Amino acid sequence: MKKLLLSMALAMVVLFTAAGCGGKAPLTIWVGSESEAFYTAKMEEYKALYLETTGEEFPHEVAVKGVDTGTAASTFLDDTEAGADIFTVAHDNLGRLIAGSSSVAPVQSQALLDQIQNENPASFLEVIKGNVNGTEYTFGIPYVAQSLVLYYNKAFITETEAQTWEGILQAAIDNDKQALSLAGTDGFNNSFILLATEAETGDTSLKLYENGVQENCFGTGDDTIAKLKWGQNFFNHSNGAKAPTDSGWEVELKDKISISFIGGAWHYSAAKAALGDDLGITILPTFTIDATEAYGDAVSGTVYQSGTFADTKAFFMKKGSAYQEYLEDILLFLTSKDVQEESFEQVQNLPAYKNAADEFAAFQEDTLDAQLAAAQVRMFEFGIPQPFGFSSKFNTYYYSKGAPELILEILENPDGDLTTHEAILAQMQNVESLWKTGLQPE
Amino acid sequence: MSQISETKNEKSSEISRFLSFFKNLGIKIKNGFLKFGNRFKDGSIGTKLSHLIMGSGNLYHKQIAKGLIFLVLQIAFLFIFITSPEVNSTPLGFKSIINFITLGTEEGDIFNPTDNSMLMLLFGVIVFGLIGLFLAAYSSNIKSSYKADLDKRKGKKPTTFKQDIELLLDERFHIAMLTPAIIGILIFTILPTIFMILIAFTNFDSQHPAGQVLFDWVGLKNFADIFSGTGEISVRFGPVLGWTLVWAFFATSTNYIGGILLALLINKKGIKLKKLWRTVFILTIALPQFISLLAMRNLLSEYGPINAMLLELGLTDAPISFLSNAESAWTARITIIVINIWIGVPYTMLMTSGILMNVPTELYEAAQIDGATKKQAFFNITIPYILFVTTPYLITSFIGNITSFNVIYLLTGGGPGVPGYKAGETDLLVTWLYKLTIDESEYNIGSVIAILTFIITASATLISYRRSKSFKEEDAFQ
Repeated sequence: MKKLLLSMALAMVVLFTAAGCGGKAPLTIWVGSESEAFYTAKMEEYKALYLETTGEEFPHEVAVKGVDTGTAASTFLDDTEAGADIFTVAHDNLGRLIAGSSSVAPVQSQALLDQIQNENPASFLEVIKGNVNGTEYTFGIPYVAQSLVLYYNKAFITETEAQTWEGILQAAIDNDKQALSLAGTDGFNNSFILLATEAETGDTSLKLYENGVQENCFGTGDDTIAKLKWGQNFFNHSNGAKAPTDSGWEVELKDKISISFIGGAWHYSAAKAALGDDLGITILPTFTIDATEAYGDAVSGTVYQSGTFADTKAFFMKKGSAYQEYLEDILLFLTSKDVQEESFEQVQNLPAYKNAADEFAAFQEDTLDAQLAAAQVRMFEFGIPQPFGFSSKFNTYYYSKGAPELILEILENPDGDLTTHEAILAQMQNVESLWKTGLQPE
Repeated sequence: MSQISETKNEKSSEISRFLSFFKNLGIKIKNGFLKFGNRFKDGSIGTKLSHLIMGSGNLYHKQIAKGLIFLVLQIAFLFIFITSPEVNSTPLGFKSIINFITLGTEEGDIFNPTDNSMLMLLFGVIVFGLIGLFLAAYSSNIKSSYKADLDKRKGKKPTTFKQDIELLLDERFHIAMLTPAIIGILIFTILPTIFMILIAFTNFDSQHPAGQVLFDWVGLKNFADIFSGTGEISVRFGPVLGWTLVWAFFATSTNYIGGILLALLINKKGIKLKKLWRTVFILTIALPQFISLLAMRNLLSEYGPINAMLLELGLTDAPISFLSNAESAWTARITIIVINIWIGVPYTMLMTSGILMNVPTELYEAAQIDGATKKQAFFNITIPYILFVTTPYLITSFIGNITSFNVIYLLTGGGPGVPGYKAGETDLLVTWLYKLTIDESEYNIGSVIAILTFIITASATLISYRRSKSFKEEDAFQ
């Protein structure tokens, strides 16, 4: 009898396991973890609107799930069948999402296309489009903007000093501190030097996959070499910038080891926790190259404005979704101006909406949140969207083939063999090759 | 001289054992075919028919339920095989065998999907597995009918379905219990392993995402890339493998020796509060390992307490990077080996303590009668006894350290970095594999590394264990 019961229990376990594999998944939406509650509430609102408009209940179950948006694209691509019907990722993932025959569906609703066209900055409109089988489509629906800003300790740096790296460095020297902490060694965090533009003219010789062409990369111009030489001096000054440590930038800010930090909106809470009332937020500072840094056409005394990747997070739709007919209408609502404004007020998502700075009331308030938003919006003047959406290769070549480490090596110059402009130029030729081919020259 | 000839003899006997395995396998296969032929010749009309229609032999012998089960199995298999039903737009059945060879031919467009090469590869493996299971059922169907033939010839009544079930719940209960477990192993272990091995022979990487771009068989190219070319795999494989072996050697030996010494010290006569000392060391085991590791990372970080202490004492004038930002790779490597001692020694200490408490006292008494000194007893009884009992642990510990993920990932993340490459100075094969697959989607290269790691660990285990006294003199200390 015992054996019979045991066998039956085993058979039931097997049956339940098998049964667990079936069933239709609900309409699933992936959003950033911090926004899960907000978008869950918004979807309830959408369902109510649907009922009001059509006179019928929304016919499907909806599940809004908070995910790590940094890895959402990889998770989606690992198993597209199990991926969300709508998901959010930064626009620079577009290249791999549309590789080959694309795993995401193009926007076809004219109403949604019009909303995208009318309500987003021009720079975003270019990076949400992609080419599949020779035809260009719009894939992403922008709803969040993000750029890097400067977080600084007001106890050591005045508002005026925070406008230039020279001012910040002097404050660091005066207080025997380090001028700057970075969050990571990747090409995103040290982009403020590489992407810097001449303050007066906005010019730069740097090219990163211009017009979506793989060969259109140029990182060996005179101004780039001079800027990197400045960066090298800044990183090698005993009170200058410091490379990331195992302690982490939060500890460095909190313990007053360093007095400023370059970060995005996603670093805001940690920066606030570290500095409390001493937290100041502003745009990234300028720097001036001196005679030892000048190179070729980049003459001594030229002022450069630190740059940033100014990106958008966009919603994408799964190709072949069982709920395709509902997705565009949902997105029309979720990316609308009103929802973006509420999203900023409630979960501090910087809106992608182009007139947010002028039209949204929350931007006008004298709060740190508003300062952060204003600084990010201003940085869009000195930034470019990461140009990696055209092809899946670009993102890999820029970030994953070792170019960021080579740039960091120039800045840190650990062995002292990258001191001369010529050595920096030679290293940047390797970087340029990596950007173009993923390989260093033999 | 005698030692050399002994080693040669050992080698030749291992080779002959290896060869005899294949010889026996050949004989078994041959016998299987002979039996198959004999059953067909010798069997009743029902048995002969069951070679074509499964279950007909059982039906012939009026074993209705059993016969129907076999028949349904055949119909279900043929139905799936012929109709090739689609799962996630990819067919199972005979089409999946064709797809297994081609890995897809249909390049989709913006509205139509591309053939999913990954699912085609997976379904191919599944269908080959199903064919294997079907053949087992097919063979069982003939055996069952032939057994009924033999029962009849002996004047016995063929067993009924109820009797078979009763038998399954009694004498053959082990089969009833083991079958789900075996099915589980097949689905969750064997199938993914075969699938993973096959990926190593394809170009499934970040440029060929499944369902968007077709990928294809590339033969041994991925393996050849280790020895040629300028890519990450060829440049970094040697250094990473070298460090993996160095790490495994030191992580194992330091923990092993340290643990034994600590156990000997605690178990030494005259040491007071033995239980307390054991408890203190066991506390590191009681804490989840990742918490211990993260705590150590914080302690050793540039602005952590250890650096603060060094600065305070004037032993250094600037914070030292011990881990991922260390100036020298060996600073980071030595640091993680030392941290690993702290994490690992208590395990060996605990085990050795147990062994020490169980060394047969007669051995010491006999040694004492023979006039052995304490030192002689220690080196001739205690140490050989510990080594004998702990050799399998030593081997598994070495293998465990080759695939040790937590320590490296949580302490250094593989750093310090090597400019131009993903694999850092402290990356082991397994952490490198993680970066290549999870971060970079280079599944084919990751699979090659996994296969090579398996070959290294399996060879090391087999060779070292078969040469150990624990294996050769299994009964020595019983």
